[in-house]
Amino acid sequence: MPDNSIGMGAGSGSSLPLEAAPARTAGRFKAFYRKFRKQRLAFAAACFIILLLLVAILGPFLTPYNPDTPNYDALMQGPSAHHWAGTDEYGRDIMSRLIDGTRLSLAVSLSAVFIAAVLGTILGLLSGYYGGWLDRLIMRGSDVLFSFPDLLLAIGIVAILGPGLSNVVIAVAVFGTPSFARIIRSVTLSVKETLFVEATRSMGAKDSRIIWRHIFPETVSSIIVNVSMRIGGAILAAASLSFLGMGAKTTEPDWGAMLSMGRDYLSIAPHIVYFPGLTIFLAVLAFNIFGDGLRDALDPKIKN
Amino acid sequence: MTAHLLEVEGLKTEFKRGDGSITAVAGVSFHIEKGEVLGLVGESGCGKSVTSLSIMRLLKDTPGKITGGAVRFEGTDLTKLSERDMRRTRGNDLAMIFQEPMTSLNPVLRIGLQLMEPIRLHLGYDRKQARAHAVHMLKLVGIPRAEEVVDDYPHQLSGGMRQRVMIAMAMSCHPKLLIADEPTTALDVTIQAQILDLMKRLKEEQDMGMLLITHDLGVVAELCDRVVVMYAGRVVEEASVRELFANPQHPYTKGLIQSVPKLRQKVRRLDSIKGNVPDLSQMPSGCKFAPRCQFVMDKCLAREPDLIPVAGASERKSRCWLTQEENAEGGERA
Amino acid sequence: MNGTPLIEVRGLKKSFSIKKGFLGRTKYLNAVDGISFAIRKGETFSLVGESGCGKSTTGRLVTRLLEPNAGEVWFDGQDISHMSYNQMRPLRKNMQMVFQDPYASLNPRMKVKDLVAEPVLIHTKLTAKERDKLACELLETVGLNSQHAERFAHEFSGGQRQRIGIARALSVRPSLIVADEPVSALDVSIQSQVLNLLQDLQEEYGLTYLFISHDLSVVEHISDRIGVMYLGALVETADKDALYDRPLHPYTQALLSSVPVPDPTLPKERIILKGDLPSPVNPPSGCRFHTRCPSCMEICKQHVPAFREVEPGHEVACHLYDEEMMKLAR
Repeated sequence: MPDNSIGMGAGSGSSLPLEAAPARTAGRFKAFYRKFRKQRLAFAAACFIILLLLVAILGPFLTPYNPDTPNYDALMQGPSAHHWAGTDEYGRDIMSRLIDGTRLSLAVSLSAVFIAAVLGTILGLLSGYYGGWLDRLIMRGSDVLFSFPDLLLAIGIVAILGPGLSNVVIAVAVFGTPSFARIIRSVTLSVKETLFVEATRSMGAKDSRIIWRHIFPETVSSIIVNVSMRIGGAILAAASLSFLGMGAKTTEPDWGAMLSMGRDYLSIAPHIVYFPGLTIFLAVLAFNIFGDGLRDALDPKIKN
Repeated sequence: MTAHLLEVEGLKTEFKRGDGSITAVAGVSFHIEKGEVLGLVGESGCGKSVTSLSIMRLLKDTPGKITGGAVRFEGTDLTKLSERDMRRTRGNDLAMIFQEPMTSLNPVLRIGLQLMEPIRLHLGYDRKQARAHAVHMLKLVGIPRAEEVVDDYPHQLSGGMRQRVMIAMAMSCHPKLLIADEPTTALDVTIQAQILDLMKRLKEEQDMGMLLITHDLGVVAELCDRVVVMYAGRVVEEASVRELFANPQHPYTKGLIQSVPKLRQKVRRLDSIKGNVPDLSQMPSGCKFAPRCQFVMDKCLAREPDLIPVAGASERKSRCWLTQEENAEGGERA
Repeated sequence: MNGTPLIEVRGLKKSFSIKKGFLGRTKYLNAVDGISFAIRKGETFSLVGESGCGKSTTGRLVTRLLEPNAGEVWFDGQDISHMSYNQMRPLRKNMQMVFQDPYASLNPRMKVKDLVAEPVLIHTKLTAKERDKLACELLETVGLNSQHAERFAHEFSGGQRQRIGIARALSVRPSLIVADEPVSALDVSIQSQVLNLLQDLQEEYGLTYLFISHDLSVVEHISDRIGVMYLGALVETADKDALYDRPLHPYTQALLSSVPVPDPTLPKERIILKGDLPSPVNPPSGCRFHTRCPSCMEICKQHVPAFREVEPGHEVACHLYDEEMMKLAR
């Protein structure tokens, strides 16, 4: 008879039935959703992020004008019913360019964070599981990377590799990796000490099996949380690099590049800067709030 | 009716869980006299600890709530007291010790301070008197170098010593009733022997009532005068300790006693109770023990028996259809 | 039962370094301090003792989850004392463990059939289908329903989880199972079920058990031979009946008399030990037990008593038996 776990044990068990009977984890996602839903701001941020993703995917179908076609009859017009966010110095519709640029900005930041997550997770797992000289090597390496201001490091990398969006991705990924490595290492260290990992060792499992089958799944929630927290920073970093002319070409509808171009006309047509700036601000804010909310909802130590 | 020291009558405690609620204690009744040790025995999840927390009204921070019955302490219903009055009663007349002494001691306060606080509050002693009393209590529970230990922090003491401190703290205001929830479960056997010895001595010296909650039948046999056996939130048997071990009535009690390995018993196989403790949210209808009982009858599955007095014995009760049949047979013969 | 030892441990030592305070000197906790014993094939050898006596560490040294600082562990005629993890891996097919905490020792993310068949996956080349079939058979063997194979561990009660743990240990047909307090976390009515199961399996598969427990009644029930540990050392080793009928070491005597007996009619003559367990970081000089021993002599405070055979198969480390030894020697 499969009863639920009431028998917590006479010797070590807690005595209250509410603790002795954990909720079935079939509802794990449900529980997470309920916790997350309670955080209104984070939930709103999540909705905004979904909107951004939709815009990124459906971009070409949503743009009211062709984002690249200049219109010399409507240079640097302010916001109006025709051009909601006005036009830029070539008369291109800023709204359309922002919509089109969403794809680029998200692609750059998401792929950079994804690469950082993969690299950092592998390094963190190896470092935490094996310890010893490998651990020292990886951790000292990330200390070195940590000691540079983020942006300076990225600028340095792009300076070496040359400008271009793919190099921006690499640069942002490199400075994101140590944070993943550290977080995953600390999770690994604690999971390594759990009884079920010791039990697996006692069976004679290979290290690779212990790492991937037993430890990695325990790190997934930390990875997800850190990914969502890092995306905001990555958007900002990519925009900054483009703003400095080290990322997207000025012709590309990139949020940072738009900001950079608009800088020259700040005094006569401030809206060219305002709207890309506002978009970057909202996107970064949304990802940061979303990340905080995710962390609170996934962390079992934080209750409601 | 003479007032008992403690009389629990039809106590019912429910816990909120998800959308519904589960009944952890379903109508438990028993009483304790002055100078008597009542054992409350059962396995995890049987509701014995919830019963004690309900008596002490310590469910406030849990999803649990007393939903019925009365807890009369010297005639006063504790469930109806205000929070303030209850607090006073808890310090003065009722005291409790827990399984894990470390969880009930503040790790950053010196032991003396923690001992003196209730003494000053409830006995109205000044600092000096309270300290002297604290040292006296530590000596009473057999702590060596009591004058020095007073100034120690909890982590500087061993598990056995901490449990002694807890007992000293509980006893410091001369309670009339001490509730001990698995007081020796976390301790090693040689230390457990020391603590049991101490509790036996204190019981004789202080003439207080004691409710001892435990799963360990050995501890029960050692310390208790009477025993209440709980299963699935209900009392299934009540008897004096001698009668309980000599002639257990309820099949659950029988199974429990038989399944414990005993020293020098030399059996090859242990008798065991089949199956598992039922989930409080999925209780069988009828007798709650029926699915695991070796004497199960159709009647058991259909209706839950009452807790009825066993014929020919004083203060013996059993919640079993077999008892009723035996009572009836005995009646016919007579 | 034949006489060849499956496990032989000689002078085993393990210490852990602990740092005290900021800038504090490193101190060493001698968890296991020179113990020797042998377990014959098919027998149940138990280590008993109170918390901190080193019995669990010994279990982990025997299965080489820990590496000893000194001494040897021989398993089936092979010295495994300093084998690397990868050298040990194939041997682990023959030695499996059952842990105390059935809640923490099963990965909560794995299905029961995968948990049970994990050692099979590690050590054999059976296909997934064959493994599933084996897992179902094993579940039936330990008294669970094979239909539960698709469930997760948290859907089971403590006793059922311990059965899953046992099925898992059994899956590769090991010769040795090291069981570290396998029933301590279980309710009494469940405890007896699991003990019976362990005995049945031993008979059926000819298993050898190293059983680690603090519960003297449980140990008496399940063991053939018993070693009593105190502060990292063995103080007495004997066959079950010899130990419980004629305990020689004062600690064993006190331990046995401390067990609460579930019979209120029995008169109790209890040896109540003074004081607490000394810290294993600074163990007492001479005999480790001398600080609490009711029959402590002068010699006990200075000289460590040798661990030696006083009767056939009955070894003890106590100065009380020095004279007998002298007589025997003469």
